[in-house]
Amino acid sequence: MQKNNVVMSEAERKSFLLNKIYKILPIISVVLLILLWFIAAGAENSNFPSPQEVFLRFITLQQKPIKEFNLFQHIWISLIRVFIALIVSWIIGIAFGILIGWNKKANALFSPVFTAFRSVPPLAWVPLMTMWFGTGEFPKILLVFMGALMPVVVNTQSGIANVAKMYLDVGTIFNANGKQLLIEIAIPSSLDAIFAGIRTSTSAAWMVVLAAEMLGGRSGIGFLIVRGMNSGDYALCLLSMVCIGIVGALLAIMTKYLERLVCPWTIIK
Amino acid sequence: MSNSYKNEKMTDTERISFVKNTKRKDDYLIIMISIIGVLGFLIIWQLAVVFGLLPSRYVPMPTEVIKLFAVKLVDPNPEGAVLGVHILASLQIVLTGFLLAIVVGVPLGLVMGWYKGFDSFMRPIFEILRPIPPVAWIPLTILWIGIGLKAKAFIVFFSAFVPCVINAYAGIKQTNPVLINVAKTCGASNFTTFYKIGIPSALTMTFAGVKVALGNAWATLVAAEMLASSAGLGFMILQGRQFARADIIILGIVVIGVIGIIFASILGYVENRMLGWKK
Repeated sequence: MQKNNVVMSEAERKSFLLNKIYKILPIISVVLLILLWFIAAGAENSNFPSPQEVFLRFITLQQKPIKEFNLFQHIWISLIRVFIALIVSWIIGIAFGILIGWNKKANALFSPVFTAFRSVPPLAWVPLMTMWFGTGEFPKILLVFMGALMPVVVNTQSGIANVAKMYLDVGTIFNANGKQLLIEIAIPSSLDAIFAGIRTSTSAAWMVVLAAEMLGGRSGIGFLIVRGMNSGDYALCLLSMVCIGIVGALLAIMTKYLERLVCPWTIIK
Repeated sequence: MSNSYKNEKMTDTERISFVKNTKRKDDYLIIMISIIGVLGFLIIWQLAVVFGLLPSRYVPMPTEVIKLFAVKLVDPNPEGAVLGVHILASLQIVLTGFLLAIVVGVPLGLVMGWYKGFDSFMRPIFEILRPIPPVAWIPLTILWIGIGLKAKAFIVFFSAFVPCVINAYAGIKQTNPVLINVAKTCGASNFTTFYKIGIPSALTMTFAGVKVALGNAWATLVAAEMLASSAGLGFMILQGRQFARADIIILGIVVIGVIGIIFASILGYVENRMLGWKK
């Protein structure tokens, strides 16, 4: 801690001052952003909702639910879809990734078809899925599953295939069999790559669930956005956007903690 | 590993040719298995439809999709444009948004990573806007910019912008401090150090970000074309849904996938040309 009676050189005083400024700047920028929002809403004949309107919309939504769900229930419905799809895609994705990362023949057999599927963006499946399975729960979860599966498989596969050769050689020298090489060396050493995939898959899943709900659904946060858009209720749109941002950020934080729990050695800082 | 080495002694040349032979055989086997995988997938799909395991109304046969591809090259029915027009319209949207994202995002990330004051100012704004997926911007985009090319490019821009910023930022943060100190010792100003040392050493990471950005931009296409449009691959898919024509949807999906692969390989080539000196 700096104290006033400590004599500081010119350079020290300067850096001390700069550090103080750096601490204040984030607050200024956030305040500016909110001010900008107020100004944009206050401009003449703009139908851009102001923060108060968004907040009021939040309260009315709690009192008068849309399709029998209030805001938190809509968010919860979306989250449930995401969680189911994520868990299934992690289990299948990691298993499949290990298979094609470890076994060269399996890789040759499956990876061309898999690459073809992977290069199709998850959103492009939406029309086909709604056509095949309607607009119920299953097609949405399936879409989220497909969006979340790809990053998990890709990362797991590259993690397993790029295990440092020395580790495997050491295992071979100690007479490890194939199963031991895989379970005791390859999988632990590629855990960080697998977790990178899990992180990507979580944010991808959150994005896909929105798109899936926007293109045909009767509940969920994506549905709220479309509802607001179609009825010109932009306060509702903005409210949902804020919630989407918050939930997205929370999901990212949660996966980070999960990573810290499962493999603490991968986090450098 | 699984090669069974002969026990009898071999001369060096024999051994070299033996190893080469087994390697060639392995490569050949791998390629054959790959081809079997792709063909097997297509054949199973085709047979499943032919024998009625899958309803042909909802699942067109691969051969039908290929036939439709040839037809769509010249026939604008039923959704009103030929395939070439769709592709051009989509490329226009995606490339506009993507280039804009590079022009704005990469310098922003670089400057944020280098100048602390700017970082602490921009970071909170960026962190607030980042977790909102591009699809969620659609209503606001309509409100602000309408539904034209600009609006669609804006949605694509948003998806491509974030990886550009993050990677440029991370890349310049990882600049080797030794290099920076050398520059300082030689009397370079902060800006010169940024320009001559920070930017070149951040290029690899930045390029990785650009690759992700292009993938994201292309993936957001369908979302962007949910806004009113009269052509585009995403539009074609959505129209296929309207007409309940699964073959049109699948053709659209295939074309989107193929163009995505072409994009990725072009960027990989450019990266090799531009960053060859790094390796």
